[in-house]
Amino acid sequence: MSEMTRRSFLKTTAGVAAMGAAVPIISGGWQQLLGAEKPGYFEREFGISDALCQKVLAAALAKGGDFADLYFEHTVSNWIVLEDGKVNQAFSDVALGVGIRTVKGDQVGYGFTQELNEPSMLNAAAIAATIANGLQVKPAAKFAWLETKNYYALEKLLTAVKLEAKLPLVQKINEKCFALSPLVVKVNASFHDQQKRIMVVNSEGVKAEDLQPRDYLTAFVVAEKNGRREQAGWNLGGRQNFSFYTQKAIDEIAAKAVNDALLLFDAVQPPAGEMPVVFAPGVTAILLHEAIGHGMEADFNRKKTSTYCTMIGKKVAEPFITIIDDGTIPNQLGSINIDDEGTPGQRTVLVENGILKSYMHDKISARYYQVQPTGSGRRESYQHYVQPRMRNTIMLAGPATREDIIRSAQKGIYVENVSNGQVNIGEGDFAFYVSQGRLIENGKLTSTIKDINIMGNGPKMLQDITMLGNDFELHRGGTGACGKGGQSVPVGFGQPSCLVKSLTVGGVKS
Amino acid sequence: MNKEMFDLASWVIKASKSAGADDCKVNLDNNRSVEISYRDRQPENIKEASTKALNIEIYANGRFSQQSTSDLRKRALQDFIANAVAATKLLAEDPIRTLPDPKYFQGRAELELELVDPAYKSLTPENRHEMVKRMEKACLQEGGDKVISVTAQEEDGFQESLQMTSNGFAGFAQGTYYSVFAEMTAKDEGDRRPNSYSYAVAVSRKDLPSSEAIGVQAAQRTLAMLGAKKIKTATLPVIIENQNVGRMFGGFLAAMFGRSIQQKRSFLADKKGQPVASKLLTLIDDPFIKGGLGSRLFDGDGFSAKKRTMIEAGVLQEFFIDWYYSRKLGWEPTSGSAANLVIPPGQRTVKAIMKDLGRGILINGFIGGNSNPTTGDTSIGITGHLFENGEPVQAVAEMNIADNHLKFWNKLIEVANDPFLYSSRRFPSLVFENIVVSGL
Repeated sequence: MSEMTRRSFLKTTAGVAAMGAAVPIISGGWQQLLGAEKPGYFEREFGISDALCQKVLAAALAKGGDFADLYFEHTVSNWIVLEDGKVNQAFSDVALGVGIRTVKGDQVGYGFTQELNEPSMLNAAAIAATIANGLQVKPAAKFAWLETKNYYALEKLLTAVKLEAKLPLVQKINEKCFALSPLVVKVNASFHDQQKRIMVVNSEGVKAEDLQPRDYLTAFVVAEKNGRREQAGWNLGGRQNFSFYTQKAIDEIAAKAVNDALLLFDAVQPPAGEMPVVFAPGVTAILLHEAIGHGMEADFNRKKTSTYCTMIGKKVAEPFITIIDDGTIPNQLGSINIDDEGTPGQRTVLVENGILKSYMHDKISARYYQVQPTGSGRRESYQHYVQPRMRNTIMLAGPATREDIIRSAQKGIYVENVSNGQVNIGEGDFAFYVSQGRLIENGKLTSTIKDINIMGNGPKMLQDITMLGNDFELHRGGTGACGKGGQSVPVGFGQPSCLVKSLTVGGVKS
Repeated sequence: MNKEMFDLASWVIKASKSAGADDCKVNLDNNRSVEISYRDRQPENIKEASTKALNIEIYANGRFSQQSTSDLRKRALQDFIANAVAATKLLAEDPIRTLPDPKYFQGRAELELELVDPAYKSLTPENRHEMVKRMEKACLQEGGDKVISVTAQEEDGFQESLQMTSNGFAGFAQGTYYSVFAEMTAKDEGDRRPNSYSYAVAVSRKDLPSSEAIGVQAAQRTLAMLGAKKIKTATLPVIIENQNVGRMFGGFLAAMFGRSIQQKRSFLADKKGQPVASKLLTLIDDPFIKGGLGSRLFDGDGFSAKKRTMIEAGVLQEFFIDWYYSRKLGWEPTSGSAANLVIPPGQRTVKAIMKDLGRGILINGFIGGNSNPTTGDTSIGITGHLFENGEPVQAVAEMNIADNHLKFWNKLIEVANDPFLYSSRRFPSLVFENIVVSGL
């Protein structure tokens, strides 16, 4: 069923649920090294020829429209789970289908089918065609492959890595977590890998193909002390090679999860109310994603529902602030060689030296604003239509040291880890959940804090960033999932430490 | 029973056993859905599709894995199953993981749950467009010159699911659903563009409110948020509006599952038989509500559905324990998931309660926030209305409440008479006292 609200949310917490085992389902092409692979996966594996695409696109444009496109997807996901000391659960999922879209102005007709045969595809195309009511438009007679770069070159497909090689990853996490502290009472660990093959063919004669890996290794621990329990988790991943998951990565994940859980035994609840907030570098860039990024997605601006719809070319932040949505960072979770409507992956400067420069565009909004699409047209799967979405959203570093920033805050809170956030686009109001942080008292970090919500207004907060650190960090997690309009897509983010002069902290004491 | 689905499930069980599985469970789901939305008095999106999905649990040599696919060609399935069984055998042994004892399959209620709308087959594309246009028109009219943008949407579908195990369980269910949704964004002072919405979901079309009512309500809810601001941090009574209670209660519910308890991530683990909330809170899991969005005759384990009182007058009576975690915990299983959750309604309207309370906040939306199931700590953003002398005087936003669930639910002082029926969480509005609402 559809999500009941178009509000957006982001979460990074890995839930251990039903997905994924290391079962290479399709043989043949799957075992090849990517460097050696020629384009045309869907033709080789499923017989999708140019002639068939042309016929289906013609059916999608049977009643006119500006353009039509086909989005083929074949995704294999695997997941192994360790619980109570044993890797005793494995999951896998195969998704196969094609989505057919007819676009007329800002109107979209959409049909999809899981059966990649001509009658099913023509049927889906006929549904998409109903959005228009004019005369037939002919698609291009020939299709040419789009030249693309590769921001996540793979040594070997992770789905082709044997299960026997993956099992030790989670077993070692488990051992390491228990070895780190006698207070640890439960460890959940899992390794997830996914291979998403896509091909976009449009009526303008462009075809583009991509293989988008996604993977992560995660630990979640519960510790017990004097009858009290605390939980914490951490993960590393992205669009990585299997060689990324070294002993060092395992140690880092285990240490972070265990140490964070142990710190919480001494955590206090901060006072409620408005106060300065300092964000640690890295994962806290969820703030950037929620409070600022969503309002710069072009659809909200085209519909005039975003507070940024009148702000292009205007000052939205202090001059030392530059914000970029970048789909080209090597191996980052939000990187894409092509977006889901066949536009090459790219880097979009949203805010430069405090001035709002650009929104994130898909083809529909780019036509509306008469600009080039920014490669931001994304969708969850072949079952969904395209929306302008973020990729890796980052704020560039500034001049200050972290110590200076904390000292300047004097009295407030320091946010180290956040699990999720949400924004109301129109008002610009946002909230995010702090799973780990510290009090700042007399310009110094003191007690640990946890489980509090922080509220603010996005545009106001952007104006209120008064200091930026020189310690930029990308979050290297593999679980960042952004939700919008009922669709989830993987995203990345990063930022330096920064000071926001005032936000509402939801503590328990008035 | 859909014969095609039954035959496929039987074939999958046979194929799994020939591939070396000792046992297996198959779930097949077919879904046909249509979605239409309007903006600026013309269709914005039209979407229609059918999906099929196969989910299979493999039990082999005391080991377990679960696989799903939408590629149901038999040749592809044969390879899929063979690979799945082979991979399962590489995992660690887990003697706890078995198919459920068939004794729990017994005693399935023989009830007609009325989960298929007889009028569904006659629903035409014109009907759908008409519903959405009327919603949009009513919202635009009610919103007047404050409207920046209105979107209206209708989605409906027909679902069939079949569950079958190699130890004798077979269950089939069918259902229809309709969801209607309208949202409006309004002009406000400065740069604020308040947005709100109204929605309803039902099994039968006759149970939906009129399209006009949804449209008008979306506009009214949005207009009521004009001029919203945060007010001074205060300790106040709050009323959580019926349709939002589910989100707050979700944090409590998360601690009621077998997995949370066994994995030591439940603040309720040792609280069975003890008071965990105010005496005014009773929670019933009722799978047998006719036309209920969560109604069912069996659950995911194949257990025959039962009506259960989970919390009675504030005392925790039961947990949601599935087969696997019942074995790990050594407890008797109940069900691993909730069907329809019901908090029995009280006597008075929200309006009457507001009059009595004098000053407080009516919460009409949550934002962000989360809850820690291990400790029960929760913190969540709110939007709503400050009321004084029982009347709304100021829209509020960018505010927050934080508490521990074990304390929060003890502050419940009244249950209103307005259960939200467009959800499987049939909760009325709830009134709490002494809540710290943080703002300025």
